[in-house]
Amino acid sequence: MFASKRLGKELMKMQEHLPPGISIVKSENLEEWQMDIKVLDDNPLYQNEIYRLKFTFGSKYPIEPPEVQFIEIKPTSTEPPETKRPIPIHPHIYSNGIICLDLLSSAGWSPVQTVESICMSIQSMLTANTRDERPPGDSDFVSYNRRRPRDINFMYDDDNV
Amino acid sequence: MSFELKERGNQLYKEGDYNGAEELYSQAISKNPREPTFFTNRALTRTKLEKWAGVEQDARAAVDLYGQKSPNSLKSRWYLAQALLGLHRSQEAYEVAIDAYRASLTAKSGQTENLSKTVLRAKQAIWAAKETSRLREMNQTLTTMEQLIETDLKRGLDDLQGQLDRGAIGETGFLEDQKALREDSEKNIQNLREAFRIASKGEVQERVVPDYLVDGITFEIMHDPVITPSGTSFDRIGITKYVEQSGVDPITRAPSSVNDLRPNYALKAACEEFLTNNGWAVDW
Repeated sequence: MFASKRLGKELMKMQEHLPPGISIVKSENLEEWQMDIKVLDDNPLYQNEIYRLKFTFGSKYPIEPPEVQFIEIKPTSTEPPETKRPIPIHPHIYSNGIICLDLLSSAGWSPVQTVESICMSIQSMLTANTRDERPPGDSDFVSYNRRRPRDINFMYDDDNV
Repeated sequence: MSFELKERGNQLYKEGDYNGAEELYSQAISKNPREPTFFTNRALTRTKLEKWAGVEQDARAAVDLYGQKSPNSLKSRWYLAQALLGLHRSQEAYEVAIDAYRASLTAKSGQTENLSKTVLRAKQAIWAAKETSRLREMNQTLTTMEQLIETDLKRGLDDLQGQLDRGAIGETGFLEDQKALREDSEKNIQNLREAFRIASKGEVQERVVPDYLVDGITFEIMHDPVITPSGTSFDRIGITKYVEQSGVDPITRAPSSVNDLRPNYALKAACEEFLTNNGWAVDW
């Protein structure tokens, strides 16, 4: 399959140019990448924070979507506080970092999406949000879910969030 | 008996003992020269050993035994195309690969992706051969021209020496003229080299494939583009996989099937023309 070649090309393009607020953290192997994103407008929910996204690619990428979720990094006492990466608050983002976003599900994915376009979608999903809350049933979901994100049938009925 | 030899050959192949495996397949073939899998296995083994002439023979033998029309021959035709590439017979390799690619599409064979890659490899090899001979020719022309300029300089210098010897010019004039001749000649050579550098544009121009020739799924240059009902073109293999799996158009998400994909011949011609002049694009 073409996963590694395609990812190599995406990386090359991103190293030349990236949209503001998006940066590559880790891309050495072609199975897992990490990206940092920032919200650029003055939405008070996300001011002065940087968030870390983890991408996991299967051999069928880009025919199948990558798994994308936020990961939390808590700096230890010896590490500088700037290395902190929280999970952003959002009615579609569970506190374990799992994101409920149509384009990341098997049904909503399109192979013309890229790592860059996913980052931009998530960036704008945060920008547009005004609700300081987690999805309903967050604590149950976080304790009991063992399924992989793309296999979960999220409800995408709430388009105005 | 002959199948036992093949099994033992397969075992050695798995262990990486290609010479041993080749020997066992050869024994199997001498016992039963009508069994195509003996030839395909030996062809694959010889591919590992880069014994291309042997791969060619075996692959052709297997294709004959299976029959040209049989989908079972597609793998052997792929081996054949690789062997021809190894033997630097790129045009033949291209013809074998493109025929097999088309047959593979019709037969929905698992070899389509391999064959598609080999088609592009062959195109690249054809371009590289042409490019090498073009550069070699250019270099020969450049060398000849530089020699002419140097001969001309030598004649001028000899002439000048003669004038000095005959007392027609003085020592100072001689040195000045000599310097001028050398500088002229140097400048001519520089101009000549600059002209050749510009003319060999492949080396100085930036190597970029235009976006409209690049497949939005694999990000590689297309060689068999098809167009969706929504008007976007993709290379056949990736879009076929996606539409079969999802049942929708990747841009509009409207329900879509493989039968909705139509060849885009104009774009195909554009890709072919680009590849003919820019074989490097295969690796881009």
